Amino acid sequence: MSQHEHFEEEEFETEFNGQTVLRIFRLGLLHWPLMLGYLLSVVVTSVLDGYLTLLTKRIVDDGIVAGNAEQLWRLVLQYGLGLVLVALGVMGFIYSAGRLGERVQYDLRKTMFARLQDLSLSYYDRTPVGWLMSRLTSDASRVGDLVSWGFMDLLWGGVAIAVSLGFMAMINVQMMLLVAAVIPVLIVVAFRFKKKILVEYRDVRKTNSQITGAYNENITGVRVVKSLRREEGNLEEFTDLTRTMYRAGFRAAWLSALFLPVVQLISAIAVSGIVLYSGQQFQLGGMTIGGIQAFIFYITHMLFPIQEMARIYAEMQQAIASGERIFSLVDAVPEVQDRSGAQAPDSLRGDIVFENVDFQYEEEKPVLRDFSLHVKQGETIALVGPTGAGKSTIVNLVCRFYEPSKGRILINGRDYTEWTLHGIHSRVGVVLQTPYLFSGSIWENLRYGRLDATDDEVVNAAGMAGAHSFIEALEEGYDSQVGEGGVLLSVGQTQLLSLARAILADPDIFVMDEATSSVDTLTEALVQEAMDAILADRTSFIIAHRLSTIRKADRILVIEDGRIAEQGTHAQLIRRQGHYYDLYTKQFRDERIGSAQPLLQAGNPVAA
Amino acid sequence: MADKVSETGRTSRSLPHQEAPALMRPLRRIWSVLGLRSEEKHEEETNDKGIRLDYDLKDTLTPNRFVGLWRMATGFRTIYVMAVVAAGFAALSRSAVFYLLRYFVDDVLMGADSQWQIPWVAAGIIALALLQGFFSFGMGRLAAETAEGVTRRLRNYLYDHIQRMTFTYHDTMQTGELIQRATSDVDTLRRLFQDQLIGIGRTGLLFLVNLIALALLHGWLALLSIPLLPVVSVASFFFFRRMTTVFESYQSQDAAVSNRLQERLTGVRVVKAFARQSYEIDRFEEENWEKYLRGVRIAKLHTLFWPVVETLTGGQLLFGMFMAARMALSGDITVGTFVAFTGLLVATIWPVQGIGRLVAHVSTGLVSLNRVQEIIRQERENLEEGNTPTNKRLRGALQFRNVQFAYESPPAEEDGAAKKGEEAKLDPQEARRRAFAERGYVLRDINFDVEPGQVVGLLGATGSGKSSLVNLLPRFYEYSGGSITLDGEELRAYSRGFLRGQIGIVQQEPFLFSTTIRNNISYGLGRKVSDEELEAAARAAAIHDVVQTFPKGYETLVGERGVTLSGGQKQRVTIARTLLKDPAILLLDDATSSVDTETDAAIRAALQRLMQGRTTFIIAHRVQSVMTADQILVMEAGRIIQRGSHDELVAQPGVYRRIFELQVQIEADLEREIAAVVEAAEEKLGGLEKAQPFPQGYGSPSEPEIPHSVTRG
Repeated sequence: MSQHEHFEEEEFETEFNGQTVLRIFRLGLLHWPLMLGYLLSVVVTSVLDGYLTLLTKRIVDDGIVAGNAEQLWRLVLQYGLGLVLVALGVMGFIYSAGRLGERVQYDLRKTMFARLQDLSLSYYDRTPVGWLMSRLTSDASRVGDLVSWGFMDLLWGGVAIAVSLGFMAMINVQMMLLVAAVIPVLIVVAFRFKKKILVEYRDVRKTNSQITGAYNENITGVRVVKSLRREEGNLEEFTDLTRTMYRAGFRAAWLSALFLPVVQLISAIAVSGIVLYSGQQFQLGGMTIGGIQAFIFYITHMLFPIQEMARIYAEMQQAIASGERIFSLVDAVPEVQDRSGAQAPDSLRGDIVFENVDFQYEEEKPVLRDFSLHVKQGETIALVGPTGAGKSTIVNLVCRFYEPSKGRILINGRDYTEWTLHGIHSRVGVVLQTPYLFSGSIWENLRYGRLDATDDEVVNAAGMAGAHSFIEALEEGYDSQVGEGGVLLSVGQTQLLSLARAILADPDIFVMDEATSSVDTLTEALVQEAMDAILADRTSFIIAHRLSTIRKADRILVIEDGRIAEQGTHAQLIRRQGHYYDLYTKQFRDERIGSAQPLLQAGNPVAA
Repeated sequence: MADKVSETGRTSRSLPHQEAPALMRPLRRIWSVLGLRSEEKHEEETNDKGIRLDYDLKDTLTPNRFVGLWRMATGFRTIYVMAVVAAGFAALSRSAVFYLLRYFVDDVLMGADSQWQIPWVAAGIIALALLQGFFSFGMGRLAAETAEGVTRRLRNYLYDHIQRMTFTYHDTMQTGELIQRATSDVDTLRRLFQDQLIGIGRTGLLFLVNLIALALLHGWLALLSIPLLPVVSVASFFFFRRMTTVFESYQSQDAAVSNRLQERLTGVRVVKAFARQSYEIDRFEEENWEKYLRGVRIAKLHTLFWPVVETLTGGQLLFGMFMAARMALSGDITVGTFVAFTGLLVATIWPVQGIGRLVAHVSTGLVSLNRVQEIIRQERENLEEGNTPTNKRLRGALQFRNVQFAYESPPAEEDGAAKKGEEAKLDPQEARRRAFAERGYVLRDINFDVEPGQVVGLLGATGSGKSSLVNLLPRFYEYSGGSITLDGEELRAYSRGFLRGQIGIVQQEPFLFSTTIRNNISYGLGRKVSDEELEAAARAAAIHDVVQTFPKGYETLVGERGVTLSGGQKQRVTIARTLLKDPAILLLDDATSSVDTETDAAIRAALQRLMQGRTTFIIAHRVQSVMTADQILVMEAGRIIQRGSHDELVAQPGVYRRIFELQVQIEADLEREIAAVVEAAEEKLGGLEKAQPFPQGYGSPSEPEIPHSVTRG
């Protein structure tokens, strides 16, 4: 249900923003041949349409009433020619507008996706994925529609009205003015109506999402419903909702049903005005039969665009709001980006130094303050401490997912902002606690670490990570699908795969954030050996709960409140009986109690 | 509330009442054939307060889908037919305008009738517009009443149906899929009634009326004006059918783009960690470009279609006009007739363009009908069927004899089953369930007795059959073999409704409804609960004090629109709920496992109160939770592998003893081991200290610690 509500359409109450409109228009101009194509064909079609009506007038007046057969055939021929041209025009604008709309959507998605790749993680921290998704899907298509159909409808309507008025003026100026007087009335009525109808539809949408919510609750809570025998009561509550829905829906529907008749009535008044006026004019010779007919046609001709105007306006407002949101995404500046003159590093081997580093995710909430640390090339650093102490922040800074807000981080003696982001990211291997796999085969997921790795290299890396045996046990082996986010595998298995993926990347610096927390003890022991080999000559940062992992680190940092509370080797810290000692004994107890649980796992031969 | 229902029920049912007798006969016949409901039951429910049960939608399950739709409109048929009739009259008044025009041209302008007729003509135009407006509004209104009324009934029916379907069905059907069918497919059906079906009627009548009007103007001229029109309507039908498939392929690519986006945005850390940005941009480009291409395909299809239609209809128009002009020239028809003729010609030709679109939409609407009908087709659980002892409280004595249970695959539709195969791939839960189903029995050879008031502990791994075992008691599932007797009577003999009233369940994941706390506690009692009663239950469940801290007390909303309760608080609300229900048998499904340690004690105490005097089943992962039970069943792979009290089980070798010993041992070992570690550390460090006093740059352990060691070189 929550998802449903996230994607609920935002209401369009934004003001008309000229700059945004202009910017949206420019998106279309990038493909000016298409835009020109539809502009021209719309104008041509619209003018021709008006001209055809004029032709029917002449057919009546100059042909039939005048009794001039020759003229009649000529006019009919012209009419036929005009029809062919109109068909061509229709062809032109349908094609160019349709294509342009798709193209603009495509462009927008492309631009946004590329921008999203550049944006820093801090942007993602602030922005829910659902929000981003709507920008790239519904908003993009709304703007695409505006550039193509929205602008076209507007142009079409404008030209149709202007052309009709123009041709009417050619026939009789006074009568044209009479018709023109009705137009503002029509527009006002149309807008009033549409506003009312839109309000009703808003109610319908709101109730609809409540109904969806009710369904969702009833289905997910079906067990409780059944065990409490709530069926009758639930239904009674639900019928309240459907009654509201019925009323709102019915009202919206009959308001819509009223709209057209009202518009038609107003136009009928205009037509009757024509009849009255032309009746007199006819006697005086100022009006012809064909002229009267043409006027009636023109009035109906103008009716449609005016009627649609309110809808187009509402859609435009929505599209402009969409455009604004899209541009806010496109204009977002990555907080971490390459400095000018940044170079790709050959290697990131060397000491890593934090020099009086300050860092905060949010203003006024410092996570690290004046933090300094020297890590030697090849050293393995374990970070322990309570949640929120800043362990992950430290490794995020090492990875340059974020940059220090004050102070410097030096790698091999150089400020790491002198390197390119790409260079750093591709040389730092990160394995996260909640590893994310992409839908696809295991092959594809492992190769994400190094795109050009051979099969042997992939299998080798999987073997090192202790993943090979479970992969082999899968029905389709390395070709097995992992599902979106890796849902088809256990968390432990995804962790092993993500470890293998990082091993394959062969990084200079290794970062593991609770990387094997869900791997069972037996596998952990297997992985441990491999890890020893991997960590041996690489600078590594490990955040872990597992004592076995921590114990082997060259140095353990106990982080509390963004500071190093204690540091030293395992033996040193135990001896000190401080923070680490407390953590360790508590952890130890939990681990041992936890280790009794696997005994109950079904299928496992019970062995202590 | 009740009178409100009947009030609105009346408005939407003013007509159905007249139809009711005619409707009842076939209904009764079908009901009795299917044996779904007894005769008198049916009587009672149609006399019930209204819309909700006045028509069993199972009746719409006919091989012919149009018959199904027709039956779905039961009660609204008369007004729907009236809507179509109104459409006819609207068309008629529109055609009449052209006749008026002919009169105006021929008789007023060119003929003998004098000037003073002109205002009458003008007034006539307005009058006809009013008439046309009246009828077309009437059509819209009546169609809206039908559409909204039919969907309202359908929504209510589906909602009730879904909550009354068996668990077997719920297990296999995904929530999203069900919701989709109950909302967007139902909405498609609404549009079918609101716009499309009536649209076809309207277009047909418009065409017919205008054609007749043309024919009255001039017989064979009218005939000459239509030969191309069937071509246009057939062409447009095929176009829109083709369009539907092309559009579907566009939509599926749209879904592919969304999926990729969703995944890459969620996994953005991975993308960044491996610096795969440009790789991702390339991959996204493939999907994005493909979507563009498919979009262009739609545009091309339109580009091909509309000019053709435009030319065809234009050609037809031109031809008709040409013939008419020729006749007008030769004096066969009057100028006024020509004017009226061209107007009517446009009015006749124009609707034909749209008919193909309508027909195509109707066919997609029928697909939605199918999807909705698949839900309707499922059987409901019968809550009343069986023995319902009145005024009897169960004692709670149970005997399980050779009980077996297998999930039977539900009577699924053919393609549905195929799809489920795919879905199962994506859902581990479902995959597990299916694995069980394939393995056959989830429970077998279950034998044990429970005395009234006894506490039974069930211990076992996930999937060992603990939950399946207790789910048999409220008859959520039916055991497939053996026998379970409850107070000496076979469990199956009791009605589901009665059993569920006597059994209380506290689940691992407490489920609260998004309503007030009061409603959540008094939920399911089916009667008014006094404040004292409510409070007493809340106190016993140790939640009263928490509730008091909320400004609105028991009227506080929970869930998204209200307060967020912690897992433990939620759990205590469900305990209060169960206390109030006062069941004879209690099922505690891992009720304390998801709760943090502080509240654990409070919940434990509340549970103790709840368990008093009730036969209780406790499902647990940990030995501690079941240690005090009168009997403990250790389950593995659907069988009971050990049974007895804690003392008995500890006395015999087996899984239970091993787990228990391990836990005891852990505690004992802990102190000793830590001591050993410290000792080892001392030694190790001592050794190190001799060789190398301190590792370079590290603070000396004897000194007060150095918070930040800045070391260089």
